[in-house]
Amino acid sequence: MDDETSADEVQAGRRAFLTCFGSALAGGAVAATATALLPGPARAAAGGAPSPAIPDYDWKQHQWAFGVDARKCIGCLRCVEACKAENEVALDAHHFRTWVERYVYVEGEDAPRIDSQADPVNIAASGSEQHYRFANRYQDQKVERAFFVPKLCNHCTHPACVQVCPTGATFKTDDGVVLIDHTYCIGCQYCVQACPYGARFFNVEKKVTEKCTWCYHRITKGLLPACVEVCPTGARIFGDRRDKQSPISRFLAENRVDVLKPETGNAPNVFYVGIDKDVR
Amino acid sequence: MPRHIRRLLLVLIGLGLVAVAVRNLVVDRSFYEYGHYRGNAVAEIARDKPKFQGTAYCQSCHAAEYDTWAHGLHYSPDTARIVKCEVCHGPGGGRDPGQNYLHAATGPVHPGNLKLAVPADTTALCTVCHEQIVGRPAEQRQIVSGEHAGGQQCSLCHDAHAPLRFKGALAAAAAGGNPAAGQRKTAACAPCHGPTGVSAAGLIGPTLAGQNRAYLAAALAAYRSGARKNPIMLGVASVLSNSDIEDIAAFFASQKCAAGPGGAAQLAAARAAGAAMCASCHGANGVPTGAAWPSLLGQSTDYLQGALRSYAGGDRSHVVMSAIAKSLDDAGTAKVAAYYGGAACK
Repeated sequence: MDDETSADEVQAGRRAFLTCFGSALAGGAVAATATALLPGPARAAAGGAPSPAIPDYDWKQHQWAFGVDARKCIGCLRCVEACKAENEVALDAHHFRTWVERYVYVEGEDAPRIDSQADPVNIAASGSEQHYRFANRYQDQKVERAFFVPKLCNHCTHPACVQVCPTGATFKTDDGVVLIDHTYCIGCQYCVQACPYGARFFNVEKKVTEKCTWCYHRITKGLLPACVEVCPTGARIFGDRRDKQSPISRFLAENRVDVLKPETGNAPNVFYVGIDKDVR
Repeated sequence: MPRHIRRLLLVLIGLGLVAVAVRNLVVDRSFYEYGHYRGNAVAEIARDKPKFQGTAYCQSCHAAEYDTWAHGLHYSPDTARIVKCEVCHGPGGGRDPGQNYLHAATGPVHPGNLKLAVPADTTALCTVCHEQIVGRPAEQRQIVSGEHAGGQQCSLCHDAHAPLRFKGALAAAAAGGNPAAGQRKTAACAPCHGPTGVSAAGLIGPTLAGQNRAYLAAALAAYRSGARKNPIMLGVASVLSNSDIEDIAAFFASQKCAAGPGGAAQLAAARAAGAAMCASCHGANGVPTGAAWPSLLGQSTDYLQGALRSYAGGDRSHVVMSAIAKSLDDAGTAKVAAYYGGAACK
């Protein structure tokens, strides 16, 4: 008997416990729901979120993309200096939101020689870390061919940098631009490591990561990015893919384009014409 | 419900409420508005002020320069080669990062201080795009600056707004002037310069015959404005109109002052006299190598020496001549003047 009684009591105790535990779970669920019902998502749920409060701009109407015609680039580096001025990038030879590489194929060598405006020889030629120009190198070699390749953030469709950000400080906007929220960036630099293109760098003064924004403050006002604005040969092309008459739509319609490192799966939105297998 | 379970429940609910409260306080209210990020950040980034303003902004005040540019080679929309104002002048509404522009020190924002950023060194500026280097496509116009115009400032000959438009003689050819009408206006010139502008012995004025028309016109305009200081010439030039100046310049330019012996022997003599750097523009025998520079043919030693002293002293000012004149000592000035003074009109 003692044994049976105790078995009943155990049963009853287990039932009560499970009931209580269930209530506790329900309570937790209520708390979770309350958490979920914060203003932001609530607004998002109610009939779709409006565009961010940018005057005269609706990000649903645009899908930005960038083109580079490397055949036209003359390596004048006006884009690099303009970017630094427009975006107040550190005036030294180590921090660039956009940069230009030169690929030189010397006769008898398998791999191209690559230099950029930050190369010590080129900095010596300009005489300053604040001005940039390509030095007249390789004069004593027989050069088979050589060309310049402007580079910048690819504003990928599947950006690895956004995936690794632990705080939601970097994100992809609805109009196709990858931005960094400097108030949420904690300076961990995971994104710098994650980017396969080396497009990001650490701003030591502000302790945040920095990169090209396609001059988001300009394109949302109907202007071109600073580098496109100053390019004297039309090597940089920018526009809205939703507008079939925009320069980028025509560029993509008229050319067979490449992207850099397609194998990484990032799906870049900077499209190149006139590059080479060695450009990565 | 057993009391210990009820307590556990209360603790759990309490923790849940704390979690909600903390999240509300710490996480920005716009987080998750559009995705896993702070929604307000988008508008904040878009609020930055653009620094590059575009050509229309420049045109609103600099219509003449804009017009020159819009008709020149630096505006070629058919080949997408458009060198906009701010490529050379820097951002219209922003800082000048490298301090590479004149006037930049007076204030960072144009036109707030009403001073346009003008590139100080056009040789350094133009070669950024036009120096021949490995990698530059062949379609781009390129020079080897060591072999082009002796390393002088590009702006000396080229109008940077329309680089195929040349300054000096070509500009004067466009301006014109009537030599026959000019001759009737030279009564005041003859006593010092001779009736045909050949300064014979005893006349105090320099030879004008065969001189570049543009140079003569510019000189008369400079006397009239007082930029070139000479009390006699100020008096003569002050009564001349613009068309008078063009006519007189055309007349004297059309007069003959034939060269003396030239060639390699004369160049060697010029070098010996310390005039090698003069010869690169003014020629070994005083006949200029380019249309933009004045002829020294038939000038007296006294006049040339005086001109060099004026450049050195600042009475006359020219980007190249002032520097050269300052580099010459008295003996060098005398030697150069004596050398070119020997090339008389025939």
